[in-house]
Amino acid sequence: MATLNINGQTMDIGEIDPSTPLLWVLRDELGLVGTKYGCGIAQCGACTVHMNGAPVRSCQIPVGNLTDQQITTIEGLAAADGTLTPVQEAWVELDVPQCGYCQAGQIMSATALLNNNQNPSDADIDAAMSGNICRCATYSRIRQAIKDAAAKMNGTAFYDAAQTGEIA
Amino acid sequence: MKLITDNLSPELPGFFQDLTSTPKLEIPELSRRQFFKVSGITGGGLVIGLALGTGSNKAKAQSAAADATSTLSPYVQIQPNGRINIFSKNPECGQGIKTGLPLIIADELDCAWEDVDVVQADIDASKYGAQFAGGSLSTPMNWMAMRQAGATGRAMILAAAAQQLNIPLTELSTSNTKVVHATSGREWGYGEFAELAATMPVPDAASLTLKTKDQFTLMGKRFTGVDNHDIVTGKPLFGADTRLDGMLFASYTKCPQIGGRALSFNESHIKSLRGVVDAFILDEFGNPKMFNPGGGDMFSGVAIVAESTWAALKAKRELEIEWDLSNAEVSSWSEIVERAYAMKDEDGEPLMTTSRGPNGPTTVPASKGDAEAVLQNAATVVSGFYEYPYVSHAQLEPETCTALYQNGNVEIWAPAQIPQSGESGSAVLLGIPAEEAAQRVVLHQTRIGGGFGRKLANDYVFEVVAIARRMEGRPVLLQWTREDDMGGDYFRPGGFHSYTAGLDSVGNLTAWQDHFFTSTGNDTAPMTSADLNPNVFPKDVIDNVKLSQTMFHNAIPTGPMRAPASNAFAFSFQGFMHELAIASGKSHVDFLLDTLGDPRLANPENPQSMHTGRAANVISEVARISGYEQGASEPGRAKGLSFYFCHSGYVAQVADVSVNANKEVKIHKVWAVGDFGFIHNLSGAENQMEGGIIDGISQLFNAKITFENGIIQQQNFHQYPLLRMPQAPELEVSFLEPEEFSPTGGGEPSMPPVLAAVTNAIYNATGDRIRKMPLFELGYKLV
Repeated sequence: MATLNINGQTMDIGEIDPSTPLLWVLRDELGLVGTKYGCGIAQCGACTVHMNGAPVRSCQIPVGNLTDQQITTIEGLAAADGTLTPVQEAWVELDVPQCGYCQAGQIMSATALLNNNQNPSDADIDAAMSGNICRCATYSRIRQAIKDAAAKMNGTAFYDAAQTGEIA
Repeated sequence: MKLITDNLSPELPGFFQDLTSTPKLEIPELSRRQFFKVSGITGGGLVIGLALGTGSNKAKAQSAAADATSTLSPYVQIQPNGRINIFSKNPECGQGIKTGLPLIIADELDCAWEDVDVVQADIDASKYGAQFAGGSLSTPMNWMAMRQAGATGRAMILAAAAQQLNIPLTELSTSNTKVVHATSGREWGYGEFAELAATMPVPDAASLTLKTKDQFTLMGKRFTGVDNHDIVTGKPLFGADTRLDGMLFASYTKCPQIGGRALSFNESHIKSLRGVVDAFILDEFGNPKMFNPGGGDMFSGVAIVAESTWAALKAKRELEIEWDLSNAEVSSWSEIVERAYAMKDEDGEPLMTTSRGPNGPTTVPASKGDAEAVLQNAATVVSGFYEYPYVSHAQLEPETCTALYQNGNVEIWAPAQIPQSGESGSAVLLGIPAEEAAQRVVLHQTRIGGGFGRKLANDYVFEVVAIARRMEGRPVLLQWTREDDMGGDYFRPGGFHSYTAGLDSVGNLTAWQDHFFTSTGNDTAPMTSADLNPNVFPKDVIDNVKLSQTMFHNAIPTGPMRAPASNAFAFSFQGFMHELAIASGKSHVDFLLDTLGDPRLANPENPQSMHTGRAANVISEVARISGYEQGASEPGRAKGLSFYFCHSGYVAQVADVSVNANKEVKIHKVWAVGDFGFIHNLSGAENQMEGGIIDGISQLFNAKITFENGIIQQQNFHQYPLLRMPQAPELEVSFLEPEEFSPTGGGEPSMPPVLAAVTNAIYNATGDRIRKMPLFELGYKLV
């Protein structure tokens, strides 16, 4: 029986078709529907999750290839007591979402950026966020929210990417 | 504040007309008392299928626990702990209405916003009137009714307090969710009077005292979206997030050549695949090439029902389908382009328009004055031929919907922009008589992962209803792929304008001629959103206008997209206006202001027509804040200006643009000034304007759908790129808020002007006049 490590927990995914993309395992088998389907070809970034701290497109990763990988999804960012991360807080306070459908992917990309670079330049933000489409075009607020989150973080990373998806 | 309540757009599309009776706040006693039991809605926002007996035990338990909640109206409840439930009636698709409408109620109810829980209302015309997201109409149509809903609740709470406290009503007031007795300095939370308030007679709307603008405690400030926390934590909100016990997942595959019908498919192979539960052909219903949200219309195709989304999508790739192409589309965009250019110097058929006089609508010529004679005597004559393509909505959430069919009834969970038409169309599809539809078809609205007009159509709702009927007793979630979406849209139609206009000896615009080329599916009228409105600026303010039209037979499905028609007209009309401004020798600003003339309604008989003074004010203000001036500020860099009026909103925008020798375009900044009347949530209005500008830039450079022999040629974002973070310019947005005008919607009027602002800037920087969208086809690249 296959298991995955998701948001710091070992989860049983049963006898599943190993070609199933991680995206659909999260959504259909584990009920973690925060990760979204937008294109299925790694063009839009709505399905972005972290694998060992790095942003990946979950629509492209067959679940059969996932052994000993630490997966973090949007549901795994906030602390157990519900405290939001600085990125999530900034997103709420700056009223970034319009329809909101892409924002889980945007937040995962932004979180990975800030985990490695607590003082990103505009060029850093462009590079880290260019894989995520926002059809409502909330880009200017996303950019500002990343800067606001960086200020809130005050030089502290979210987590050590080498560790197991623990959120600071 | 003087309030104009009848603020509907003059360009209201026909399919909205049966929905636009301004909702009256009528709260019948029965409706009020039964409200909670019927709707089964709790403060947590959980929607329960009690009407069909399908509610879960957990939901029923919550329902019972919430019975202590006091219901004042379909819009206002008081929870036992004193918190206030405010119901948001209309679908939320990113336009911010789930925050915006409750904010209006809360202010008149005199609540502190932090004491409010917003609950998405269920679909029920008997309680909420028309419930839809379209036409930038949610705010203007509901502005007065929402204020009355809040004031009604406040009056009932005050009346209950007076009775319960035995204090004269005149000595009581309200503030921040509290009843206040100023004389004694005492105050009580609304919750103290909840039970009694719910039994108070509902005051007559005429007896209500609404706040004046200076008494607003909430409206006019910035408020963040009520779902933001759930969005950033990944909570289930959207259509595809619906999860029900025993749920199945479906794909649906239609003919790539639009309108083809499935005859047979490799059924035994598909059914043998892992996870596939069933697979079958569905017939076409109605005439789905034509946009018709409430008809049940859907294309033929093959449904695959499986135990997981992936099983349904993986099996879809292995489908081999034999199609009957006898009714399939055969039109090609390349042929239409060729025919239009060949006819660009010819006249079309005289354009007719509908005039709504005292004796009802009549068909009259859209032309006025004598444009031909004036053009012959004009000091300067300018011509230009403009082209724009078909465009896909490309909302990020592909079409998805869930349905459960049981005992001849159906329950639906849909991210629909016109959910009421989703209900009525489902009844048509299932053969349920209209008088039984309200009982037998129940639709729950979910948050919409982007609408932009695509989810005004309910084709995907009808598809899953038809699939669920075959899978009786099991809920089925239908998931379209991006390829299904892009190849099966109700597209923004492409078209062409052949303009000729005349200027007199002092550079004033005196005549305007437009031969409009469009598509028709029935050879009688243009396709949906493919018609020319004779009131587009500047035709509405000049005396001599000649309009003609050529329709090509082409039934590739079309429908409304954000700022229907305006999203293309603004490019061509306001690009050509800049051509005229250059020819006039005046500055662009002066040419626009001179054309607008004295402050007045463009059509004195139509209070919803453009007010030239409001138009002039946004133009002057955007020129001021941007430092707009004609000509290049440095080699290859200049600003461009554009103005557009639609959906009752006035917007002027200026783009600051650099173009290098490789035709790489950098948009440094866009300034926007809007007039949507009074703005009750500034953050929401700013969001719409910011999104509209970038949406427009994205379409201008890269959006083009083509079709050959009825087959859409683009399938996914690699062939239909959307603007990304590095290309997004700096934005500066502001609003004029003239005192005397109540709010109108910002979702649509925010988008159109930027199209021509950018192309006019490119002209000012380089001298290259752009008369065709998208710009990538002219060698331009947005960087």
